[in-house]
Amino acid sequence: MSSAADAHRRRRRAETPAEQTFADLMNGFSLDSGRKRTRSASSVPAREATPVAEPQETPVFETVVPEPPDASIVRAYAWTGGRTRSNINLEIETLVSANDQSRQSAGILQAEHQHVVELCRSPRSVAEVAALMRLPLGVVKVLLGDMAERGLVDVHQTASAGGVTPDLGLMERVLSGLRRL
Amino acid sequence: MDYVGSRFPDFGPPGPPGRELTSAKVVVAGGFGVGKSTFIRSIVENDLLTMTALPPERAGLVTELVRIQFGRVWLDPGLALHLFVAPQWQDPRAGWNDVVRGAVGAVVLFDVMRPADSVDAMRYFEDHKIPYVLALNNVHASVRSDVKAIIRGMGIAPEVPVVNCDPRVRLSVRETLISLAEHAKLDRWRRRPGPDETTPLAPVC
Repeated sequence: MSSAADAHRRRRRAETPAEQTFADLMNGFSLDSGRKRTRSASSVPAREATPVAEPQETPVFETVVPEPPDASIVRAYAWTGGRTRSNINLEIETLVSANDQSRQSAGILQAEHQHVVELCRSPRSVAEVAALMRLPLGVVKVLLGDMAERGLVDVHQTASAGGVTPDLGLMERVLSGLRRL
Repeated sequence: MDYVGSRFPDFGPPGPPGRELTSAKVVVAGGFGVGKSTFIRSIVENDLLTMTALPPERAGLVTELVRIQFGRVWLDPGLALHLFVAPQWQDPRAGWNDVVRGAVGAVVLFDVMRPADSVDAMRYFEDHKIPYVLALNNVHASVRSDVKAIIRGMGIAPEVPVVNCDPRVRLSVRETLISLAEHAKLDRWRRRPGPDETTPLAPVC
């Protein structure tokens, strides 16, 4: 690994600690995160002796796992064009689905757009796309925002868009839905 | 635990294309090993997924990803309910705002042996005026009322429901979610006019 580049990056960060750069975001991203997760699962000691409800539930999924910078930074950087914010307001639970246009242009899409279109043949939330593509939430938001702007995916309305409390109608709908479960 | 979803009638994936779709979410919080993932697994259709996010406050020298587990269930042909495991409290801001912003409400799972683990979560939801229920993890029926009285004595708001819940049992999880939805609806009703509301939560990247 290029330790010189690393050192340079650290120096830059030390100068501007408050500002989050895209490189910071990307440092956390690596393609073999699955392998790292299993390794850390074995190295992180159990935090407690008596898990009550589910003994097999390891706490590792909730802990913060350090991930070293990776070469794949460059690739994800290219995907989002260096942006960390999307113009379209996407909550983690917002549903997106592929539309007719994306199906027709399936052959000519970038690989990652193609991947999203395939995932979203049935409606998926932003969180699901992030989990299934193994990409950080921020990257997926930018990716989906781009695709929505180009008309490749439909973004469905989210009850709580913009952080407002869901309205009474939705509350009622959730309640009756739960009662039918 | 086996997969219980298929044994019960469910609306499954949404109706015909072109139908209006929307989504809502609930947050499940509590200490380590209290059964948050189990709770969600008991009610959703598929196994849980894990999403990663980078907390903005931690984007300094060491880069760390937060992993957030979640599941999804269709409540009717146009409404998907997401249930998110709240990220751990040692890192309270990590990915937390994105998960909590706009939630219908929260379930705080409460282990009577380790009450302190859930207090931070309760305080957070009260501060941000997010309706929540306190779900006691499997307290024996013989002491349930005593335990509830003690918890009431801790000073939580009187309107917050305190229920007993076995996170492994689908019906119990469903009951807990119903009491949350009822409480949230009531809470929304009480705070109808308020345009001031809570402080906006910044998204993470």
